[in-house]
Amino acid sequence: MQPILSVHNLNKYYGNQVGCKNMNLTLYPGEVVGVVGESGSGKTTFINSISGNLIPDSGKILIETGNETIDFLEISESLKRLLIRTELAFVHQNPRDGLRLDVSAGGNISERLMSIGQRNYGNIRQTIFKWLDKVEIDKSRVDDFPRTFSGGMLQRLQIAKNLVTSPKIIFMDEPTGGLDVSVQAKILDLLRKLVRELNLSVVIVSHDLAVIRLLADKIIVMKNGEAVESGLCDQVLDDPQHSYTQLLVSSVLQV
Amino acid sequence: MNNVLKFKNKKNTVAAQDEIYNFAYLDENTKRMIRRALIKALCIPGYQVPFSSREMPMPYGWGTGGVQVTSSCLTTDDVIKVIDQGADDTTNAVSIRNFFKKTANIKTTEKTSQASIIQTRHRIPEEKLKEKQILVYQVPIPEPLAFLEPRYQETKKMHALSEYGIMHVKLYEDITKNGHIETAYAYPVKTNDRYIMDPSPIPKFDNPKMNNNPAIQLFGAGREQRIYAIPPYTEVTSLDFEDYPFDPSKAPHKCSICGSNESFLDEIITDDDGNRSFICSDTNYCNQRMENN
Repeated sequence: MQPILSVHNLNKYYGNQVGCKNMNLTLYPGEVVGVVGESGSGKTTFINSISGNLIPDSGKILIETGNETIDFLEISESLKRLLIRTELAFVHQNPRDGLRLDVSAGGNISERLMSIGQRNYGNIRQTIFKWLDKVEIDKSRVDDFPRTFSGGMLQRLQIAKNLVTSPKIIFMDEPTGGLDVSVQAKILDLLRKLVRELNLSVVIVSHDLAVIRLLADKIIVMKNGEAVESGLCDQVLDDPQHSYTQLLVSSVLQV
Repeated sequence: MNNVLKFKNKKNTVAAQDEIYNFAYLDENTKRMIRRALIKALCIPGYQVPFSSREMPMPYGWGTGGVQVTSSCLTTDDVIKVIDQGADDTTNAVSIRNFFKKTANIKTTEKTSQASIIQTRHRIPEEKLKEKQILVYQVPIPEPLAFLEPRYQETKKMHALSEYGIMHVKLYEDITKNGHIETAYAYPVKTNDRYIMDPSPIPKFDNPKMNNNPAIQLFGAGREQRIYAIPPYTEVTSLDFEDYPFDPSKAPHKCSICGSNESFLDEIITDDDGNRSFICSDTNYCNQRMENN
């Protein structure tokens, strides 16, 4: 099987400051890769660099679309943006960054559909209801504005908005950050369900080891912009080799 | 001071063009700059060409963009017609007509068929336009995406890459809220199957007239410093959904002066009891029908 996304020797500097250094990643279809590390370790820089939000200084990003392999850093701006709104999806930590707050919930979900050329209101409406159902938002809220939604609902709406065109690769930057634990659990449940049901390929960034353990198959541990350890999720978390990973695992609060 | 004296003397003796103004007010270099923008705009239908808009002797929002475009197109043989919401006799139309009379000593007309240049605010004349006529629109906000995406850099990219999904989001919201597409003026169009364009705040009733029109259509936005154009015989389609097709609706009434069923109507409240009547917004069209009957 070919990886759907592979990243080789990716570097991103902010002036002399290291953003992330010498990063590698292989993501197979249906796989979830978690990126963990403390604040400032370069997780967000890394995910932004591989999803098209930032332009890395050097490295290679290959995306397999099924019939061809695309060199993500070499393609034209127009093809890149087309990929970003069809094949890729980005779930922001703050759902307000990923949603249009002055457009109704349904309108938010429909944007990607219409940008790929759907022009039938009835069909679009059907798809919206289907996705509201999937992310467990009540259908009666379809015409309400996102600003009337709670934090957890906003995050679920953002997920629906991103997944509506069935993208191949989904990037998530702390999707449960800033939510209380019970809502967090609900979102995680939903994500796990969607990942299994739709066979999604996901790169997820989190500082929360529990989130990663629940969702991810593989894990990359970052510190000071570099990957210090990587491997199967359970293996790394149960038997951490690097001192930083050991510290990270032992710092998890036990209730 | 000299100029002022000259101006005063002239006013009493000569009715012709005031010599203190260059022909049609703008200096020749400015006109050349605007003509270049116009040619570029005609080559790329619907694309907004930036131009360095001049300070005009009228406030922004009164047609400074249209006036600059008209001024740059004007020759001594032209006959100009100016309309404001279809009418030849409203303040804006009268003052712009007088402006060109004074600065270009040019013939003016109220008859659509006799005009070679028609400057318009918010209407397209009812009478069919012909080849060799120019229709100049006054445009307040040229960017159709402005209300959806406030970042200018981003809208430029969206145009360049034809990322127009968001335009349909607006129509989607309309249908969701009202059961039909509520946008009644400045209804977005696609020009030559490429650029999405704001047709200026004309009623959507006029949108079909832009399609395959034999006349040249020029759009000038003075404050926003943009010029765009539709060359003759260009395809212009109004955006819609398959199951909610574009409908160029009008008030279901007849003109109470000329009895026309076809023209776009203004609603006039006639007394304090709320009585109202409907009359043609295109005054020239209405008058001509009355003369012919």
